[in-house]
Amino acid sequence: MGDYWRVLSNNLPDYLSGFLTTCQVVGAAFLIAMVVGVTVGALRAAPSTFLNRIGFIYVEFFRNIPLLVLIYLVYDGINRAGIISLDRFIAGAACLGLYTAAYVAESIRSGVFAVGQGQVEAGLSLGFTQREVLTKIVLPQAIRTVIPPIGNLVIAMTKNSAILGGSLLAINDLLLRTRQIYASNFKLYQTFLWATIGYLIITITMTVIVRKLETRLAIRR
Amino acid sequence: MTYLFDAGNWEWITSGNNLRFIFQGFLINLQIAVVAMVFSLVFGLLLALGNLSKSKVVSVTARTWVDVWRNLPLIFVLLFFALALPGDWYSAWEDNVPSFLPSAYENGRILAAILGLVIYNSAVMCEIMRAGIVSLEKGQGDAAASLGMRYWQSMKLVILPQGLRRMVPATVSQLITLNKDTTLVSIIGIREVVRHAKTVTNANPFTAEFVKGPPLQVYLVIGLMFIVVNFALSRLASRLEVGQRKAGTEVQGDGPRGSGRLDGHDVTLVPVPTPRRRK
Repeated sequence: MGDYWRVLSNNLPDYLSGFLTTCQVVGAAFLIAMVVGVTVGALRAAPSTFLNRIGFIYVEFFRNIPLLVLIYLVYDGINRAGIISLDRFIAGAACLGLYTAAYVAESIRSGVFAVGQGQVEAGLSLGFTQREVLTKIVLPQAIRTVIPPIGNLVIAMTKNSAILGGSLLAINDLLLRTRQIYASNFKLYQTFLWATIGYLIITITMTVIVRKLETRLAIRR
Repeated sequence: MTYLFDAGNWEWITSGNNLRFIFQGFLINLQIAVVAMVFSLVFGLLLALGNLSKSKVVSVTARTWVDVWRNLPLIFVLLFFALALPGDWYSAWEDNVPSFLPSAYENGRILAAILGLVIYNSAVMCEIMRAGIVSLEKGQGDAAASLGMRYWQSMKLVILPQGLRRMVPATVSQLITLNKDTTLVSIIGIREVVRHAKTVTNANPFTAEFVKGPPLQVYLVIGLMFIVVNFALSRLASRLEVGQRKAGTEVQGDGPRGSGRLDGHDVTLVPVPTPRRRK
């Protein structure tokens, strides 16, 4: 038992900095995912076949490509092409964000369509303008249905962020720190236990928050 | 853009057996995904039954097990098992591996790869199956019990056939995720498509006579392979979903929309406004 505590107290700063880096990467990726995801989701729901197709291609590309391959494609590919040199952190956050954005776009699209054409028609027939229908009828309801799935996506994104530390990007996140600590002390269970707790703190806290939001935002019909 | 479509940067595709080499790696990924999926289905079902067990000890244990593995990053799990499995296991595997298997399987770490993928995905599958079973009305189980069925009989004859049918679309989309996740086993040293890509993109004594592939193009080709397979799978998933709705395996009690079959008749459920209570 003492071994477990000793590993923690010896390496606490490393664990914490890894934990914080994971949080930072997830935060940056979250911003990208939301901006891009909402844009692409809007394209998917737009009343234009051309825009729909662009959104469709984006979603199917980023949703079906493995994140690891995307990271190699972006980082190894672009750096070796010598066009621009990318910062590792920015490249990682961008890959994770763009990858998650495809899922965000899909949940936004389904949220918008869940509102139902009937309500749009009802709004229009009551004399609302297109814009008013969107801002006063569709969006307030769509946002409520969309928030819980997006919360789940953020949890998945946090787990995916470990790939950034494990791949060639070698961002100093919790995973990479754990590997470094293991390489210095060779105590497998002790080292990985604390990292496990670190990851569980993030994901389980978020799961609880999402569940709370789910019940609070549920539309009672 | 000019870099991307420059003909010189695509020469590697026809040079030597670069493309075939990449494709062989991709097949390894698919094989690992299928093997891991089969095991995950079996263990996922056991975990789901454990989760729904009447015994408190069993259900709490299964619940905790599933919640821990499901909430960890897969790559973390894979790294853990790669380090945790005893070296004897690896050498035992490497000594006894059948020769007809592709060379990727000669590495003992394939055990850790499959084990990690199965432990993580069986936890995810457990959640999908549990949701499928729980979504059945409680009356189904009660009806089976009132017909005198035992627990296992009602599971086998009433609950599972309906519950498992509901989880088919979710299972296919999990298979897509698993398919993508198999690339992570390259990090613990399995020679699959990402490793093969590294060979093609780097100057390597074995491939010296071949044209080296620029990473952007090589990984784009790999990405397209995954996109083709996964897109086909996701089409399959949505078709199954529609087919299920048509077959009318379910008529939702509270959902006010949709249609289905009830006692052999096609029924369409129309929205009925819930009476609002006056204040």
